[in-house]
Amino acid sequence: MNHQTRVYESVFEMLPTEENPSPIVRINRLNPEPDFRMYAKLEWQNPFGSVKDRAAWSLLSDLEARGELSAERGIVEPTSGNTGISLAGMASARGYKTRTIVPNKVPMEKKVMLKMAGADLDVVTDDLCPSPGMGDGSINLAKTYAKSQKSRYVMPNQYENEHNVNAHIRTTGPEIRRQTEGKITHLFTSLGTCGTVTGCATYLKEQNPDIKVYAVQPSEGHDVPGLRNVSQLDVSKLFNPDLIDEILEIDFELAYTRALELCQNEGLFAGPSSGLIFEGACQIASRDKNGFGVMIFCDSIFKYVSNMVKHIPELSEGTTPPNAK
Amino acid sequence: MSEYAHPEVLVSTDWVKENLGKDGIKIVEIDVDTQQYDVGHVPGAIGLNWETQLQNQVRRDIASKEEFEQMMRDVGISNDDTVILYGDNNNWFAAYGFWLFKLYGHKDVRLMNGGRNKWLNEDDKELVAERPSYAASNYTVSEVNNDLRALLPKVFEAQQGGHNLVDVRSPDEYTGKVIAPPGMSETAQRGGHIPGAANIPWSTTVQGDGTFKSLGDLKELYGSKGVDFAKPTIAYCRIGERSSHTWFVLKYLLGVKDVRNYDGSWTEYGNLIGAGIEK
Repeated sequence: MNHQTRVYESVFEMLPTEENPSPIVRINRLNPEPDFRMYAKLEWQNPFGSVKDRAAWSLLSDLEARGELSAERGIVEPTSGNTGISLAGMASARGYKTRTIVPNKVPMEKKVMLKMAGADLDVVTDDLCPSPGMGDGSINLAKTYAKSQKSRYVMPNQYENEHNVNAHIRTTGPEIRRQTEGKITHLFTSLGTCGTVTGCATYLKEQNPDIKVYAVQPSEGHDVPGLRNVSQLDVSKLFNPDLIDEILEIDFELAYTRALELCQNEGLFAGPSSGLIFEGACQIASRDKNGFGVMIFCDSIFKYVSNMVKHIPELSEGTTPPNAK
Repeated sequence: MSEYAHPEVLVSTDWVKENLGKDGIKIVEIDVDTQQYDVGHVPGAIGLNWETQLQNQVRRDIASKEEFEQMMRDVGISNDDTVILYGDNNNWFAAYGFWLFKLYGHKDVRLMNGGRNKWLNEDDKELVAERPSYAASNYTVSEVNNDLRALLPKVFEAQQGGHNLVDVRSPDEYTGKVIAPPGMSETAQRGGHIPGAANIPWSTTVQGDGTFKSLGDLKELYGSKGVDFAKPTIAYCRIGERSSHTWFVLKYLLGVKDVRNYDGSWTEYGNLIGAGIEK
């Protein structure tokens, strides 16, 4: 493998490491504070298209090392899309089967991508009237497969598996430190499984306890795939509020409008979760005035075209000939 | 569980495990999300579908006496069987099933406390994908307890006073901010609630593991919302499943004598011509 010439013998050699980090790119035109440097870490540059490549590889490697996978026994995992896409792509390339369980609100692009990556797909009804103890429909169905069909499925469970966190302690954290030459003062992430925030915060605060960690959460009743409001976080065993300096609640519609602004002003085709993180970072930059911020941009906008049109309907205007019937 | 008014209608997951496969006990799973049963269920459990088996969608009604009888015969449940019900969403439709079994006079029917999710998350509990097969029975319904059900005239009567009306939906449905939970196809023309109803969401009756709260906590919950346990009570929700859960709590855990489930619920009342509502 040669990261200079970028010639690889398999797709797995492209996975991010300290020696082969995902890029960080400075925000220029949309930065509200010139003395607050803002960099976006473009996780869609990973080979399977999102930050979840890191957790998926960590989970898959662990299952392989423990001899849990075979041609007959594959993976079952609940996912809002990205972990499933990474897991399915990796598993297919290594000869394992994958079954992914997704909530219905996951965009069609992601559902189809899961199938294209080789996964079997189950779609469950979204949570109707949440209650303590009910859990999450997709997690429950994945657990049911793993429990009732043990010879066919193993469930890595990204919501509880420490290997999710370890992936970021091992890769994302060290990459950020090296890329910023240790100058980072603010880290901005979102909350989903919480592997990214817990892993990055653990590593970076060990290096420099003064680094502030900010997590953004969409407002309740949100429609931002992959993210969780704190009220929805009881499913994640990886959430550690002690590592987070502040949780910013942001109107979820801004996820979409900010993502569009990033496309149209910075040349960054960032997805809605990145838009939400960007809004949170702008708020803190305006408040703190000085700093060196890094934002984890989880994935690109390509998987969210239908969601973008749903939330910004004018995007669909002029996409058919004027006289089309 | 022994503190409740009728502890005999509630069994623990451990009790179910100890009694798996015993003669005279039939376990039945009824889910909101019907694919859960197909993937894996308690060993030996029969699966019933709330939409196609417990209801008649053509008449928009519960399964008739004859339909219920035939369903029991087909799945192999006898009149003398102890029926243990459980399901997803903390027993929403399992409680609806319980209500229907009681309405058609089944003697010994019980609910598994905590439902499917509690069983799923306990390491010593097994799930299987294979469907059981039981010999057909000659089940007969000999009594119909219509006093467990509130039809619309009874709901109007309750509004005249002397009754408790309990709306068990989420606060946003009660206030009319939303008409139904997101994505639901069964809905109403208006958002709001039946005049005089107290909002006590079904979910406030359960603990973190999905089991029911203690008798003391339940008494305080309903008492603090003005429910008089001596008065006849009607529970309702959107289509009658969440209110079955509350009906069970009021009648069997708290021991309220006259409790009815209004299964027409908001999808009926919210669509009525000339009926006032509150927001």
